[in-house]
Amino acid sequence: MKRQDDRSVGELLLDADFTTRQSLMDVTGQDAPAMLRTWGEVVQSASELWATLPQSFRGTTSPIDGTTMHRLESMSQAMHRNQVRRGWPGDGPSDERLLHVAETLTRAADLIGRRGGHIGPTDPGIRADLDAARMRIMHTLYVGAHSVSVAAQQHVADVELAITRGMSSRESRAVPRGQEAINRLAAFEQLAGAYVGNQFARAAQGEHVHGPHGTERLQQALIGWDIQAHRTLAATPTPANLLLASRTQAGIATAAAAILHAGARTGHVDTHAYKHRLAPTLDATQQAWTHVATRWAEMTTPASRTDLDLVHAAGELRAAVREVAHDKTTWAHPEVMAGRVDLGEAAQHVQQALSTAVDVAFVIRDVATQDTNLTGPARAMSHRANDDIDRAADRDHRDEDVVWVTAGDVHANRTVAIPEPVRVGLVDAADTLVQTASNAMSAASCLDQVTQDRPSGSGQEPTAPRSRRHDGPTPMVQEVPRVARP
Amino acid sequence: MMTNDTIDRDAGDTLAAVARLLRHAAVLVWAQAEAEGPRSSLHLLGLGIHTASCQVVAMLPADADLEGHPPAQDDVGQLLRSAEDLTRSIPVLDQTAGISPLVVAICDLVREAKP
Repeated sequence: MKRQDDRSVGELLLDADFTTRQSLMDVTGQDAPAMLRTWGEVVQSASELWATLPQSFRGTTSPIDGTTMHRLESMSQAMHRNQVRRGWPGDGPSDERLLHVAETLTRAADLIGRRGGHIGPTDPGIRADLDAARMRIMHTLYVGAHSVSVAAQQHVADVELAITRGMSSRESRAVPRGQEAINRLAAFEQLAGAYVGNQFARAAQGEHVHGPHGTERLQQALIGWDIQAHRTLAATPTPANLLLASRTQAGIATAAAAILHAGARTGHVDTHAYKHRLAPTLDATQQAWTHVATRWAEMTTPASRTDLDLVHAAGELRAAVREVAHDKTTWAHPEVMAGRVDLGEAAQHVQQALSTAVDVAFVIRDVATQDTNLTGPARAMSHRANDDIDRAADRDHRDEDVVWVTAGDVHANRTVAIPEPVRVGLVDAADTLVQTASNAMSAASCLDQVTQDRPSGSGQEPTAPRSRRHDGPTPMVQEVPRVARP
Repeated sequence: MMTNDTIDRDAGDTLAAVARLLRHAAVLVWAQAEAEGPRSSLHLLGLGIHTASCQVVAMLPADADLEGHPPAQDDVGQLLRSAEDLTRSIPVLDQTAGISPLVVAICDLVREAKP
């Protein structure tokens, strides 16, 4: 005999939320068919629970109304009809965790129906509870939709890999149908996300909307990043923003190496050029960006704030790189990447990014050289100043026994102007950065030739770049106000 | 820079703890990435954790106390799971706008960090 469920509505809602979170943390591509079969039940149960909640007395323009839920339910029903019509993912088992979420939401609806659905919420406290319940339901749908979408994305990636190994055409239909499901779920997720009021949503994980995929997304993300980096660093060149900019540029260099390596392995990039010109210079510029990033990190505090537009651009770039180049926790196999995108086209986007990276490096060097407002926490600045002096070739500074940060500032860890040795070290690091970024750009110029001249036996025809080519700085770069270089 | 001065004290304190965990996790991942070399995929994992921590800080009031000792854990997966666990006590309200995408971001990172 089943034990009686004595949980409150609030506890049931938390159970549903936490189950979708757990699902998101554990989900794999194998889960996708079952999750797609079950998702409609979750939405249906959520909608029924929503309908049992006593109506708010707010006006119809309030965001706390039923319009969003109606739209989500319609989207889910349309998705279900489409699955039936196309026969994909077809019959099979349900997803146990999503089924549990649906049953939990239904249980909450039953509880409200029996005990208080008829009550008019005049008390402000009750109205607040109802609003909180609606938010939790929508949050659960938001997390759940993302979970199903991740499963579908991984499923499509798994099938794409299998296709390269000779999967049947019947099985390979999962790619376009899975992609359609991903797009529908992205729209669902965006609508639910708008309800839970997140001006932060884009920044956390990329756009998650109908949009370009593959190299087109990568290209847009790289261009978007370049524009935003220049905007942010022109307006607010704080150590926190410079840290994120440098780390993201380091990530671009890492991703560039992975994509070009895959290109070299699959005949889209000249192997000799990759091995002897591209890889060494990419490694060097990646390390230079990382070194500069650690310098900026020392000048931040845990409370330092980063421009959310910059965070968004970095998040979208990271998501675009993962879509092209990652397989779960590491880089995808070169053949897998080649199955996903035209690596010759991706190489050209990478080349453009390496060109624009030089200008970001110059901006960073300008800040390091000329910004008189740079500050950092006293302890970190004191340590860095002493370390840099110890390492310097000129030992005269050490002999002078200069106190760069006062004992009082160090004790209280006050924010202080960066000491001169710290600035000197920062400028040195930025000079190296400019040099290595320039070297990488020069090395990447060979991609023009090798991607256009590659043999036709590579499996994919050379593709004309979809974007304008960058022979110099992008127009945006030219528009950004820059301080004069020394 | 964005701040949130309407968040209640408990939620703010919890988010500050989440920020500390994420910040520590990013530092650890980047250190491991640098040890592995410039082509390590961990550089991008570190970037993802760092951007999530930026999100958390943006959800806090300007005077939020984010100092304090780094967490004792050194396992990145455990740090991320601890961060997700802490977010479970934060209500989903207008005052905590941003919590839903943050939860999704952290859950994605937990999955991504699995060996």
